[in-house]
This record gives sequence, structure tokens and C-alpha cells, in this order.
Amino acid sequence: MSGEEDENAAELKIGDEFLKAKCLMNCEVSLILDRRYEQLQQMSDDPTNQVSQVFEKSLQYVKRFSRYKNPDAVRQVREILSRHKLAEFELCVLGNLCPETVEEALAMVPSIKTRGRTHEDEEIDKMLNDLSLIKKFE
Amino acid sequence: MFFHIVLERNMQLHPRHFGPNLRDKLVAKLMKDVEGTCSGRHGFVVAITGVDNIGKGLIRDGTGFVTFPVKYQCVVFRPFKGEILEAVVTMVNKMGFFAEAGPVQIFVSNHLIPDDMEFQSGDMPNYTTSDGSVCFGAWLPLALNFCIGTIKDDFLGVINDPGAAA
Repeated sequence: MSGEEDENAAELKIGDEFLKAKCLMNCEVSLILDRRYEQLQQMSDDPTNQVSQVFEKSLQYVKRFSRYKNPDAVRQVREILSRHKLAEFELCVLGNLCPETVEEALAMVPSIKTRGRTHEDEEIDKMLNDLSLIKKFE
Repeated sequence: MFFHIVLERNMQLHPRHFGPNLRDKLVAKLMKDVEGTCSGRHGFVVAITGVDNIGKGLIRDGTGFVTFPVKYQCVVFRPFKGEILEAVVTMVNKMGFFAEAGPVQIFVSNHLIPDDMEFQSGDMPNYTTSDGSVCFGAWLPLALNFCIGTIKDDFLGVINDPGAAA
């Protein structure tokens, strides 16, 4: 596809379809896949037979790399990150990687500083502090 | 990165499935056909979360099969160029190492590993910095269909166990 040569997540060039789509953090995916697995367990005796390898690997991955386990905490994280003018993709990368310093955040999501939105360093710092507070009190 | 998107697909159903459970049979077939597949455009379809709409069925000329347009919601995993994500190292050799992030395999060549990390062969092959402070390695078989990654940049490389970090 012609779009793929320009693809660059660092500049938020991920195609219209995905820019407008709902992005999910690992912790949110974990809740969804858990629910699905429970449904399968209720429907049949051996759910492991029913699920694809992709599902199993994804479930293992999101369980391991979810920073927040509590559904309320997950909701709070999304709420905090949504207060700043971030694209869904940027929001989820921050929610997944939980950078501790502004420098780290900018290295992971360079597009925050570009695209004409001015995010002051203090604003980013406050946002990262709020995130780490949720983790502490989860 | 995981996304929740709406996709469309034309499902073909054999007449033997027609009856009161037509919709259930259609959804079951959809799940069997689509979950676990991968496309260049949408990435890996991990799980179908719901069916939005099933359109009117069209009988195909010459056969008794009927095609239904189905709109469904699903969770997909689509990695992007330039995206930063966490992965688990699965195999290490002197050319580099393989890692897994969910359903996707990633290969990091030794050219894209910081210069101060060197390959150590042996029972448990790994990469270690010259003063022995940082080390990673693991042991699992190879697989095909992979992406290319790098750890030669700021803040990339070994992370602590998330449970241990404060």
C-alpha cells in the first residue's frame, strides 16, 4: 500500500483509519480479553481449544505488561491523559510505558512536541506525576 | 498497539445452516474465520467483541450459498514503524536477538544494539555490557513473520520487572 512508506509513529503518521480509531492500552485490553475468556469458559469445557494462538499470546502479553490491574485505576488513567490535548495513539503509548520524566516521555512520544500543539514541560511533568500517584494508590 | 475497530466482511453460508439459529451460526463462523488472522492493513485480529449489523443475505447465482455482509467490532494488534513498545526476549544469537510483543515477533540486529553490549555465547546466550551491569537473554525456538526493532536509542533497552519498580 502506498501509505506504508510514509508510516512513522514518532510523527503520528499512522494513517487516518487508525488516527481516528479507538486505541487501547494494555490494561484495557487485559480486561476485554479476560471477559472473553470467561465467556468461553462458560460455553465449553475446554476454552484453550477454542482460542487462537494470537489470542493466547496477546492475553499473556497484556497481562504481563499492564501497569494498572484495577479497572477503576485504568479508568482514572484514561481520564487523566484525556485532559491534555493528546491523540489516542499518544495517550495509549504513555499509558503503556509510563515514563517517569519529561525527557523520557518526549523520547517515547516525540509527536507531543510537534503538530502545533504547545505542551509546556510543566504540564507534561504534572501529567506524569498524576499517573504515578494512581499507581501508588492502586 | 491495540485498537478497537469496526470491520466488514462478506460471509458465505451453506443452506444446511439456514434455520432458527442462522444468526448464531453466522457469528460462530465469523469468529472461526477471522480471529487469529493477520492482514497488512489491520494487523492481527485478536478477538471479536461484538457484531454490529448483519445485512440482507444475497443468494449467489448457480449455487445455493448465501452471502451476508457482516459489520463487527474487534480488537486488533497493529504495530507501526517508529512505535515504541515492550517485548519479551525469546532467543539470542550473535546476529542479534528475537523478541515477542503479543502476537508479533521482532528481530533486533546487533547493528541496532548499543555498542557497549556484547554477545556472550554459552548455555544461556546473552548480551552484556562491558562492566557486566546489564544483561538480557532467553531461550525459545524461532518463528517466521517478524518485524525489525532497535534498542539503540534513548531510554530503550532492558527494563526492570514492572512489579519491582516503585
